[in-house]
Order: sequence, then C-alpha cells, then structure tokens
Amino acid sequence: MATPGTVRGPAHHEEIDWERAARSPEFQELEGSRRSFVLPATIFFFCWYFGFIILAGYAPSFMGESIYEGFTVGYLFALTQFVMVWVLAGLYLRRANRVFDPLVRRVVEKTPGAAGYATDGAGTSPTDGPSTPRTGDGRPGDREVTS
Amino acid sequence: MTVPLAEVNVEALSIFAVIVAITLAITYWASQRTKDAATFWAAGRGITGAQNGFAIAGDYMSAASFLGIAGLIFLFGFDGFLYSVGFLVAFLVVLFLLAERMRNSGKFTMADVLSFRLNERPARTAAALGTLVVAGFYLIAQMVGAGALINALVGINFSLAVIATGAFMLIYVVFGGMLATTWVQIIKAILLMSATIVLSIFVLGKIGWNPIDLFNRAEAQSDDGHAYLEPGLRFDNPIDTISLGLGLVLGTAGLPHILMRFFTVPDAKAARTSVVWAVGLIGAFYVMTTFLGFGARAILGEAGTTGGVDEAGNLAAPLLAQEVGGGDGTIGGDAFLAIIAAVAFATILAVVAGLVISASGAVAHDVWSNVIRKGRDSEHEEVYVARIAALSIGAIAIAIAVAGGSDLNVSYMVGLAFAVAASANFPALLLALTWKRFNTTGAVTGVLCGVISSVGLVLVGPDVRSDPLIELTQPGIISIPIGFLGCILGTLLSKEEAKAERQFEELHVRSETGIGAERPLEGAGLAPRPRRPRPEVPAGTGVAPTR
Repeated sequence: MATPGTVRGPAHHEEIDWERAARSPEFQELEGSRRSFVLPATIFFFCWYFGFIILAGYAPSFMGESIYEGFTVGYLFALTQFVMVWVLAGLYLRRANRVFDPLVRRVVEKTPGAAGYATDGAGTSPTDGPSTPRTGDGRPGDREVTS
Repeated sequence: MTVPLAEVNVEALSIFAVIVAITLAITYWASQRTKDAATFWAAGRGITGAQNGFAIAGDYMSAASFLGIAGLIFLFGFDGFLYSVGFLVAFLVVLFLLAERMRNSGKFTMADVLSFRLNERPARTAAALGTLVVAGFYLIAQMVGAGALINALVGINFSLAVIATGAFMLIYVVFGGMLATTWVQIIKAILLMSATIVLSIFVLGKIGWNPIDLFNRAEAQSDDGHAYLEPGLRFDNPIDTISLGLGLVLGTAGLPHILMRFFTVPDAKAARTSVVWAVGLIGAFYVMTTFLGFGARAILGEAGTTGGVDEAGNLAAPLLAQEVGGGDGTIGGDAFLAIIAAVAFATILAVVAGLVISASGAVAHDVWSNVIRKGRDSEHEEVYVARIAALSIGAIAIAIAVAGGSDLNVSYMVGLAFAVAASANFPALLLALTWKRFNTTGAVTGVLCGVISSVGLVLVGPDVRSDPLIELTQPGIISIPIGFLGCILGTLLSKEEAKAERQFEELHVRSETGIGAERPLEGAGLAPRPRRPRPEVPAGTGVAPTR
C-alpha cells in the first residue's frame, strides 16, 4: 500500500485507480461545483480588499472624509471588509455542507476501494475502510488497536 | 531600553502563576497520552472543529496583534487598522484554497503536501527551509517582544523574562506535544477574547457609549489632527501599503504553524468548520482593536507612550486598561493592568509553542526521518528527534533573544515572516496542489526565490539599513511575484517529471475528496483512550515523556 520512499510521509494508495476517479462524472461535477463558488468569491474578495488598500494608498483624504459626525469613509470601507469575510465564510460553509459534501460522498461511493472515506465531521472510524496501521513501526503491539 | 512601570508587579505574577499552573497540569495530562508521532504532531487528529477554531485564533493572534496593533493604531491611527483588516481577510484564502486540501493531503507538516508527488528529498528540504525561516523570524520577534513586555509590565529582568517564556514553551512542546499546545492555545484565545471584550466595554463606557465619538476624541488628542483618521501616517509610500496588504493576505496561507493545525482535526469538514470559527473569533477581536487603539489615543492622549519610554506603542493597551480601571495606584487600575499583562504573557506562550512545534516537525519529520534517514527510522526515533529538535530550536531562539537584548530590532521580523510565507511557501503549495506540470525543480527554485528575495529586500531596505538601496519596507509586492515566477520558470525550464504528473491525479482527487486521507487515531480527543493490555506492548513502543 505504501510506496517505498514515502513511508514516513502521507501513505500513497496505489490500490485506487486515481486516473479513473479523476475522470469520473461525479468528480468532474464536484470540481465544477466547487469552482463555480470559489472562483467568483475569490475574485470578489480580492477586488473588494485591494480596492480598499489601493484607495488607502492613493486617496487618503477621500478615505478621511466624514460620512456622519466624524465616522469616515475609510473606516466604513474597513468595516465592510469584516462583514464580507463573515458573509463569504458563512456562504461557503453552507454551500460546502449542502452541495460539496453530498458530491464527495458520491465520488467515494463510485470509487472502488474508497469506502469509509466520506467526510462526516466526526472522523471516520478506522475500522470501516482499508485500515492503515495506527503507528508506522509495524511492531506486533501496534496491531491490536486497529483490528 | 524599556523601563519597568513598577517594581515587581506581584498581582500580575500571581495571575501568571495561575495560568502557568493550569497549562502545566494540561501538559502533564497530554504527556501521558503522547506516545506516538500522530499524537505528538497532530494531537491524534481528535481535535474538534470548534476547538481547532479557538486554537487557530490562539495560534494566530500574537502579542504583535494584541499589543502591537493596539500600539500601531494608537500611534498611526487608520494605518494601524489596515493590519487588522489584512490579518482577517487572509483567512478567506486559507478557507477557499488550502484548509480542506491540507487536511486531506497531508500528515504532519506542510512539506508532506508539497512533496506528496514530487521527489521526496529536494522538495521536502525546500519546504523545511521555508518552514524554518518563517518560524525562526517569527519566534525571535516573539521572544524579544516577550522579554521587553514582561520586563516593562511586571518588572522582572529582560533576560529572565525571555528564559522563563522559553522554558514554559519548551515544557509544553517537549512533553505535551500538539495536544498540550492546542489546549494552551484554546485557553489563551478565551482569555484574550474575554480581556478584550471587557476592556472594550470599559472604553465605551468611558467615552459615553458613543463609538463614533471615539474617533472625534482620538482626533482631538492627536498632534496629527485629522490626518490621524486618514491613511498615510505610517506608510507615506502607497506601494508600501499595497505591498503590506498582499503580504498579509497571502502570507497567512503560508504560515507553517497555522497550516499544521489542520492536521489535528478528524477530516476536511472539521478543517472547514475550524476556519469559520477562527474567522468569527479573529474578526471580532480585530474589530475590537478599534476600541483598544483609538481608545488609547482618545483616553490617554500622548501619555499612552509613557513619556517616550515605549516608542512602538506596545504599552498603549495595558496603560489603557490601567486608566479605565481607575488609574495608576488604584486597586482597579492595578488589577486591570495585571490582568492584561498576564493575558499578554499567555498570548506569547501560545504562539511560541505553536511555532516551535511546527519547526520541530520540519527538523524531525521532514529533514531527519525523510531526508537523512529516508524513512528507515522508527516512529519512536522520529518523536525522540522531534523533542531534541524542539529543545535545540527553543534554546537557539532564547540565546539569540538574550544576546540581542531588548535593543534588538525585531519590528520588521513578523512582517518578514509573513513575506517569506507569502513568497516562498504559498506559491509552491498552491501550485503543487493545482498544477499538473509542476515539478521538483519548480518547487525548489520557487521556495529559494521567495526566501532570498523577501529576506534580501528587507536587508537592503529602510528597516535595516540607514542608507537603504530600495525605499520599500514591505517586500511582498516584489517578492511574491518572484516566488511564483521561480516556481513557474523552474518547472517550464526543466524536464517534465513523469512521476509528479502521474501522481498528480492521486493528490488532486485526494485533496478534493479526502479519499486516502490520514485517519484520526481511535480514542483521540477528550474521551479517555482505551488502555492497551500492558504485557502485549513491547518495551519501547511508546516514547515515555523524556526524563
């Protein structure tokens, strides 16, 4: 299972046909669905954040203008960054739980040898899938925990 | 040189003692469970999403955030607040691009992910270099800051303060590993958030519950007048402002001690949840830096620097606490100052412990086990070497901080750590995960270009030289593109790597789905671990807490 030379790093799984998994319509759909959220969201927050930073760099007096009794444009713009982060993080969490996770489960179901790897938030039990030894030593004493 | 505010602050020392006693008890508990590498570096992957969110907040919000940003806002007004915004927005990069992929692909260190499909030894060495440079600068800055702050706040000698901080940090890491480090970080995050909320409420009460009035009072108290509320007091060069923004936003996604936290949760879903928790906590904290920084200016005026004793403004928040608590010499004022001093101490401990454990991973797991021993060592040896590495790294950091003394200029070091993380670690990691053609040469040249350009630019810049060759204090805007270019050109100008491209699909599918991901240990987390029958465990399987 583990490729020689990477024994101490993350274990490779040669028993799984990764090429086929990557080409599967389920995986393609997962990737497309994730990209359709992450790409526009990333572009948006980069523009919104660097818009703020560029204005701070090049238009200091505009940023210092008062909107309401000394509350400035710059500070309002800064606060919108906080709101943006919370909203985007919340939207991502909701999308991931509702859309990405079920798609991941489908990829896992369709990939031979991948049973037991579905993301469920509580960790998968080491017994319900191809088990990796708990510790890398391979000493007999280590086995009892996984078996 | 900083001058102690008081003789020895007994109240602060007593609160320190309580915090230290609690954390040492946790370390003892953790040391009983830390028998294998997965517990030492990844807490058995049994940390829940919410716990990890608090731990990320505790790992991330350093004394540089707590006292440093309050001080920067106090001194430079709006420009100080730019840091607060950048430090938070950075977590969107982590959430969207890296958190879940790191958890799915890696084992203990950033290098695990970078070298997954590349040639093990060169790629790991490069990633370990990136880790050690970032952790090294960050650690030295924190240690010197710890010495100076404890010296000023509590009245104990600088060297003694550094040694004490370093000693506790090493006890947590060497005996309790990631499990102890995680709980120290969680406790610190709770203490820091509570103290900041209470201090913010006191500040608001003091100015009559009108937050907008805070800005007007701060402006009135500043010699810079209205410019205090405008950008430009700290950065007169707009390119510096943009460069800082880039460095902060991309740097967080390359900080090894933050990325390492994602290996401590059971799966990608928990990694994602933990970032959302962290974003809530860290965002709330940085919003409140408004009350600390602008509040210190509004309420203390120029007195916030204690007559030029503290030019970096680091004491603005503690002095503010003393003032809103009733003032110098009152019971409330002194108690509040002592509490803030103790929270600052806990803050530093949690961050340096996180840094040392990530550096120990780079030395023991990456360089020793995989590069020098080529995987032929036992897990027992790996954890043993990790403890030696942590001790050595800690000892070196303590030695540099004590030798440099409080006059050592560390102001640029945290910024430099972020710049290296953004220019060396982030490009290589991102391309390893997403670009099929990416190869070992690209990873090595990318990391080297990123490290050399960011360190080089700071060395010839105004923070280090009195006759700077380049008028740029923040290297990011040049060094980040150099890091990416190094990765891309290194890849395109070298031969295609068949193994890297073949295994790309494995990394690709694994990082997106978690198929093949490292599993959590059974019984990790808070539940008592099932005891193994004693006689069947051969002697020396577990690593007993050394000495």
